[in-house]
Amino acid sequence: MHRETVENVAFRAGYLAILTFMLLPLAVVVATSFEASGQLLFPPENYSLVHYRTFFEETTWLSAFDNSLLVGTGTTVVATTLGVTAAFGHELDDGRTGQLLAPLVLVPLLIPPIILGISMRVYFVRAGLNASFLSIILAHTLWATPLVYFVMRSVFSRFDWQLLDAAKDLGAGPIQSFAYAVLPNVKHGIFVGALLAFIVSLQEFVMALFLSSHSTETIPVVAWTALRQSLDPMVSVVSTFLILISIVAIVAATVATNLEWLSKQLS
Amino acid sequence: MSEITLDGLAKRYGEELAVEDVSVTIDDGELLCLLGPSGSGKSTTLRMLAGLETPTDGEIRIDDEDVTDRPAYERTTATVFQDWALFPHKSVLENVAFGLKMQGVGKEERRERAREMLERVRMTDHADDDPMNLSGGQKQRVALARSLAVNPDVLLLDEPLSNLDKRLSEDMQIELREIHAELEETFVHVTHDQDEAFTLADRIGIMADGNLVQVGEPNEVYQNPKNRFIEGFLGDTNFVEGVVDRTSPDAVRVETELGREVVVPTSNPDALDAGDAVSLSLRPEALSIESADAGLEADEAGQPVRTDGSTTNSVVGTVESVLYRGSTVRYSVAVEGTSVFAERTVSDSGEFETGDEIRISWDGADVLAFRDDGSRVDL
Amino acid sequence: MSGTHSSLPAPIARVWEPLRERSRSKRALLLMAPLLVFELLLFVAPFLILLRISLTSGSQDLRYAAGTWSLEGYAEVLSSGVLQDAILYSFKLGLIATGITVSIAVFYAYAIWRAEGAIKSALLFSVILPLLTTLVVKTYAFRPLLSPTGTVNDLLLSLNLVSEPIQFVPGTIGVIVGQVYIVLPYAVLAIYSVLSTMDWGIVEAARDLGASRPRSVLEIVVPQAMPGIIVATVISFAWSVGAYAAPGLLASQRVPFAIEVEKRLLSNLQWEIATAYAVIMLLLMAASIGVLTVTLNRFGGEFEYA
Repeated sequence: MHRETVENVAFRAGYLAILTFMLLPLAVVVATSFEASGQLLFPPENYSLVHYRTFFEETTWLSAFDNSLLVGTGTTVVATTLGVTAAFGHELDDGRTGQLLAPLVLVPLLIPPIILGISMRVYFVRAGLNASFLSIILAHTLWATPLVYFVMRSVFSRFDWQLLDAAKDLGAGPIQSFAYAVLPNVKHGIFVGALLAFIVSLQEFVMALFLSSHSTETIPVVAWTALRQSLDPMVSVVSTFLILISIVAIVAATVATNLEWLSKQLS
Repeated sequence: MSEITLDGLAKRYGEELAVEDVSVTIDDGELLCLLGPSGSGKSTTLRMLAGLETPTDGEIRIDDEDVTDRPAYERTTATVFQDWALFPHKSVLENVAFGLKMQGVGKEERRERAREMLERVRMTDHADDDPMNLSGGQKQRVALARSLAVNPDVLLLDEPLSNLDKRLSEDMQIELREIHAELEETFVHVTHDQDEAFTLADRIGIMADGNLVQVGEPNEVYQNPKNRFIEGFLGDTNFVEGVVDRTSPDAVRVETELGREVVVPTSNPDALDAGDAVSLSLRPEALSIESADAGLEADEAGQPVRTDGSTTNSVVGTVESVLYRGSTVRYSVAVEGTSVFAERTVSDSGEFETGDEIRISWDGADVLAFRDDGSRVDL
Repeated sequence: MSGTHSSLPAPIARVWEPLRERSRSKRALLLMAPLLVFELLLFVAPFLILLRISLTSGSQDLRYAAGTWSLEGYAEVLSSGVLQDAILYSFKLGLIATGITVSIAVFYAYAIWRAEGAIKSALLFSVILPLLTTLVVKTYAFRPLLSPTGTVNDLLLSLNLVSEPIQFVPGTIGVIVGQVYIVLPYAVLAIYSVLSTMDWGIVEAARDLGASRPRSVLEIVVPQAMPGIIVATVISFAWSVGAYAAPGLLASQRVPFAIEVEKRLLSNLQWEIATAYAVIMLLLMAASIGVLTVTLNRFGGEFEYA
């Protein structure tokens, strides 16, 4: 009995320690954004909103926000379109193309972003697309599409395809039957997939760093450049916004599906 | 020798009471069946015995040693699980050798002993198979061998036959009996199947709503059910509702929904008073049926008298349906708005048809009576 | 559609019919085609070009000499001590970070699997939130925490565990902590998704047969979770070896592959060297991932601890 108690205590202490490790850095970021002085101090000594006021006056950060929004939206549209159609096609016919597609889509996720960044940079310079928003959107799509694709495969595989046949029986054309029979049942999945695509694009920075010019820098890239010079409290402010957006996204996705399912999709 | 004592055992999950109060002593070498419907707490009781659940209250002693707080891996019990819980990434032989490996038995020896166990359950040919490729019956044998391999003081069986088809399950019941006879170990077997319990058990413990309601030898439990729940659970029977009309020193007369009085002989006339509500159980095997016009004389009180002079109870009704159930035939008979069923063996079925008028009669001594709180009336 | 093809001439109808039979798979192909084309254009083609440039010779005033064939880039990588040191350092970081990450991830995934209700949600949330937060944020938070004047050192000093501050950041320890933090969420989820399909009953069976709790995890849970553990290992290793953000913000003098290759590509404009370097790194990674996977796979079945 004694041993069991010791094990229980150790087990609980273990996972609580990891829980702290997982959340502490984010808490540090949020807390330091309220520090009154210009230094990064944790825990902060004096609380103030001074950096938030500065943030809304600095054009560098605001335009970076606009850039991120543009890239994120572009990535979401392209990745969701590609991912949903391909997953739908794969569901209709699991032929050789489908078997080739799955690993091909997956491999970019396993290659360090630095190497992808290099190959993309080289490629876009040659294609004359260097330093455009399009190049960043396409690069982010390479990372976001697999998530949409695998989320949708899992959604479609649980979908009752007899509904589609039934709709066709009743005289609906292919587009109509998709819109009326399939879409209402998988829209949560599409929403979560699109949300993930947006978040991935919003947070990605290694490829963006290699592909952006001064005018196309996204938030993480500006933050990175700022940090390499000095520890800037402004980065904490921006990071707090990014963390907030992620929390909102998780809550939205959880409402649409559930946390358990979402976790399995992310792996 | 392993005698098990459960004393006031209880298990609560938050507000929910899974086991309320279970106290019983299981003798060394006995095969006790815990029988009850799902949700009666029988599996939870078994899991507490195994050490897989910690009791909220009460005590478990094995051979007079308090093991209540001892975890599963330090108990000398072994469990055969309902879904068998074979290790999917280990071969059949490795599954059976697992317990010995945990005891620190060397590789060669434990493989050899595992092989012996597989021989006992006639699975030697499958030693190197992946357990996931076995049939249900084969998995069941492997699970049994795996539990027996650790030479447990007590073998716990948690509905291991419920996932098998009827035929296979019956074969396994016989095999389990043989293994039990051979090993002389204490077995505790949980099941919801009355036939299984009657085939296997030395004693049956009947559970309902988290309580052990009655423990006894199969015959005793069947003949002498403690309450209405047990009477209904152990087999199909006809419950006839009624009110005591009057009692006499040697009989209780009950006005029933069958539209006539039923006379139950008694040696304990004070057990009931006039006006008490009672349920009478008329077991199908105690009912005899014959053509309605088979003449019976009535005595002066209007009770029919058999040709041999003994009194009997009888009612006349119309056959509603005839159901052939393998070796028996079940007649459902409409009597005064309710329905009574009786059974005959096929060879002795009397060949009645739907719509026939038949007379159902029974000996009053075969009737069991229950009060409206479910308790048995000791007549 | 049936109306139009009935009026088709016989030879065309003969070709049309089987095509119509296959229309389901044709439509499927049509739906998959955009993604396939995208992957070919944005993933396969860039790599072929990367490979091609790695085989050109260097140039004084351009990034590389187009149209030439040469092994100069590879020769430079194989002879340069600086480049090889960076690779060695990267692999060292990768192995250490992967070892720590996967061990913690197995434990944490198990804890999530066993947890219920609000605790389970909290644990899952603690994994998903960092996963969806940018690398930059995740990494730089460790500077105020781990620097010589940071929170952790303050704590250690006040508890009298150390007599003077330890410089975790900048330094290798800081890089490893940061990198573990970056890859841990992915590793935990990879293992958790396998565990969540596992039957708890077999762990109970092992305990019933005499396996203590730690032993039952080692004997039953770990082999069963091996597919997830392999994925976790591959992801952790690939990303840690190629790590850019953690070393970029938390490292001191020693430079890993990612920083070195960035310098060659963006500052020195030595594309033939940078691309050859990337190709060699990729090959080495592929080889070591292969070895890791094969090794781990052997642990999927019966194995001996005793």
